[in-house]
Amino acid sequence: MNEAALLQNSLLVGAALFCIGLVGFLSRRNMIVMFLCAEMMLQGVSVSLVAWGRWHNNWDGQVLVIFILTVAACEAALALALFLMMFQRRENLDIAAWDDLREANLPAYVDHELPAVAEPAPHWPHLTLSGLEPKVDEEEVTHRSHV
Amino acid sequence: MEIDNLLILIPALPLAAFLLLAFFGRALGSRSHWPVVLAFAGSFVFSVLLLLNVQKQLDESNTNGQAQIGYEHVYTLWTWADVNDAYTPHSTATSAATAVAPATPHNFTIDITLRADPLTVFMLCMVTFISTLVAIYSSGYMHGDPGYPRFFTYVALFVFSMTMLVSVSNFLLLYVFWEAVGLCSYLLVGFWYEKPAAAAAGMKAFLVNRVGDFGFAIGIFLIWTTYGTLNFHDTQVAAANGTVQQVAGVLGQTRLANTALYATGGVAVAICLLLMAGACGKSAQFPLHVWLPDAMEGPTPVSALIHAATMVTAGVYMVARCTPLFMASAATPWFTIGSAPVTAQMVVAAIGGFTAILAGTIAITQNDLKRVLAYSTISQLGYMFLALGTGSFLGIVAGMFHLFTHAFFKALLFLGAGSVMHAMGGVIDMRRIGGLRRLMPITCWTFFIGCLALAGLFPFSGFWSKDEILGAVHRQAQTSEGFAGNWYAVLYWVGMITAGMTAFYTFRAFFRTFFGREQIPHEAGHHAHESPTPMTLPLVVLAVPAALIGGYYGLTHGILDFLSQTPSLAYQTVNRAAEKPEFELNLAITSTAIVAAGIALAGFLYLGNRKQVEWFAQLLRPLYLLSYGKFFIDPIYYGLVVWPLRVLANICYWIDRYVIDALVNFVGALPGVCGSVMRSLQNGMVQFYALAMMLGLLVLIGALILWPG
Repeated sequence: MNEAALLQNSLLVGAALFCIGLVGFLSRRNMIVMFLCAEMMLQGVSVSLVAWGRWHNNWDGQVLVIFILTVAACEAALALALFLMMFQRRENLDIAAWDDLREANLPAYVDHELPAVAEPAPHWPHLTLSGLEPKVDEEEVTHRSHV
Repeated sequence: MEIDNLLILIPALPLAAFLLLAFFGRALGSRSHWPVVLAFAGSFVFSVLLLLNVQKQLDESNTNGQAQIGYEHVYTLWTWADVNDAYTPHSTATSAATAVAPATPHNFTIDITLRADPLTVFMLCMVTFISTLVAIYSSGYMHGDPGYPRFFTYVALFVFSMTMLVSVSNFLLLYVFWEAVGLCSYLLVGFWYEKPAAAAAGMKAFLVNRVGDFGFAIGIFLIWTTYGTLNFHDTQVAAANGTVQQVAGVLGQTRLANTALYATGGVAVAICLLLMAGACGKSAQFPLHVWLPDAMEGPTPVSALIHAATMVTAGVYMVARCTPLFMASAATPWFTIGSAPVTAQMVVAAIGGFTAILAGTIAITQNDLKRVLAYSTISQLGYMFLALGTGSFLGIVAGMFHLFTHAFFKALLFLGAGSVMHAMGGVIDMRRIGGLRRLMPITCWTFFIGCLALAGLFPFSGFWSKDEILGAVHRQAQTSEGFAGNWYAVLYWVGMITAGMTAFYTFRAFFRTFFGREQIPHEAGHHAHESPTPMTLPLVVLAVPAALIGGYYGLTHGILDFLSQTPSLAYQTVNRAAEKPEFELNLAITSTAIVAAGIALAGFLYLGNRKQVEWFAQLLRPLYLLSYGKFFIDPIYYGLVVWPLRVLANICYWIDRYVIDALVNFVGALPGVCGSVMRSLQNGMVQFYALAMMLGLLVLIGALILWPG
């Protein structure tokens, strides 16, 4: 296809990625999924940049994409470290749990109670052992000689 | 001692006593009367020394030949205000009257200047003498009162203000001390401020005074614009071009020597009437007399000092001092009835006469002894203004003579009433006390002497001064032509009738209090005995001049000779047709007959059984009600003035509270409202914040794309 059509379609793809990432970022509650969506926004922008680079027939777009990828990697490291710390505080990955800066007179928009606990693990009957215990080769158990 | 030093010391001693008590009064406690009594006694001694000094100067100038009109000696302490080019009169102003040519700027200069002339010295002696006696009396009367130091502080401030009032040589300073005595009157009348009636009476006294003072202030403004100066005396200022310029004082030698230098016409009449308005306020003349009876809520020594002898005489003093102004206004009538002119002086006389008879009529029916004396004071002050309104030299001096004798016998009467009140535990209603002559003999018989003097029976002091007044009015009635003659004739008979009424109500009060069945109210408790020495001693001391001083000066004309040397009264156009008053036998017989009839009627009604009183009251019931209700002047004032103002004040309060405050509160609430809107955006949700960021970015990019340029 010609360059104009290629540009248009590439931009559409980039825009689609960006929008999906945006909507996902705004609506998902899991911190890691939110971060994935943010990364997707960055990728959408990268696609747009490459498309424009191809359109203008120079490397500028792709150079910027390299920058973006680098920054995204650093950002990922920081973000995941933060999420780890936050998980250790609250024991869940729900972003809505972090609403401490809420004004005092406004109600909490999310539930703070965890959903009801799932059914307890079924209680299987515990049979007595029958027969002899097989001989176990410790070496073989830990380091299997063949699969 | 030098006149200058004496002039300074006389007001300085009460001022020192005031300052000492203001700072250390509480520490002095029940010894607070000592600085005050000593200061007043010292002031009195210095006043007498000043009098002797001035008399000596007068004798010397008489022998040396007079270079000036009257005698005055001014002593400038310092310059208070000095504003150059303060006012440029219009070129149409009378050039003769202003000190400098019109259309040139006048300097506004106020010097603190004290003057020594016969009128001032006369007033000073009287004021300090009465003050000393009242201070001694107060140490007994106010004994045990929790506000004892405060009382003496105020009294010291008052006497300082009064001595300065009569000593200053400037209209503005006169006004300052005029207001200061009004302030002290307020403080002292409302001395027992926790009593609502006393607090209200204090406010009423001050506010009614202020109404008069408003007129007085405008009069002073007119004097400034007309004469270009507010000083009484001539001053010399260095003019811009280096020469020394004479600024002729309003009552100074330059103007007194040349009558053309006084403005005549409407301005002069306006000035005189406005000054008279101020005097009406201060000296309780109709229609501003309503504060004086209510002022009896204050302690009785206050009534004796302020409302009998000193403050209320400030108005009389001021009008007497401004005699040249009144003389200058006599050429122009204020209004004409038909073709008959009514001058400002005739108005003064009419106000005085009318007030005299009005107050006399009210006093006949009052039950409260102090109120009877208050209305009596108003009536006697009316006599003084009647005398001043004659415009003749003898009339004016008769008015001052009556002021002098009145100070003594009225102070005596008030102190006697205070003695009765002290013994009766605060009850002064004559319906509840009676027959006290055996219980309190000293009080009774000194009060009797005071009553005789007030009624004006020969040979007590009131007779001489009142007869001189009536004689002056009679003479003026005979020498004036046409309408003015009739005017003064009517006032003469008003004065006569009032003299009869004075005798009647005075002896009515005396007989009801001291004769008849002995009646002691239960509030008296163990107080019901003769008063202690600090209280009876001034009574005895005052009884002597109340009895004798009128006769002495009436026969020797000492006061007349002395006051004739005052510059204001030595003024040439003051009618000096008769230099010495002749003793008119007809007048004396008529007045004595009327007074004796009044006393006899009072004795008939109140000495024996009192059934006829009821019969009289029933017969003249409407008149009785009118008199007992004080002619309903207070309710009229309430309806005309107080109630509309109170309504207006309530409206303003309502507007202030519910309109203006609502507006301010609304403006104050706006940030809160905006804040609460903003606050609802902070809901703590991270994704909401992210959404807000996105929306903002959208708006920004949209603006960038869509906004041309």
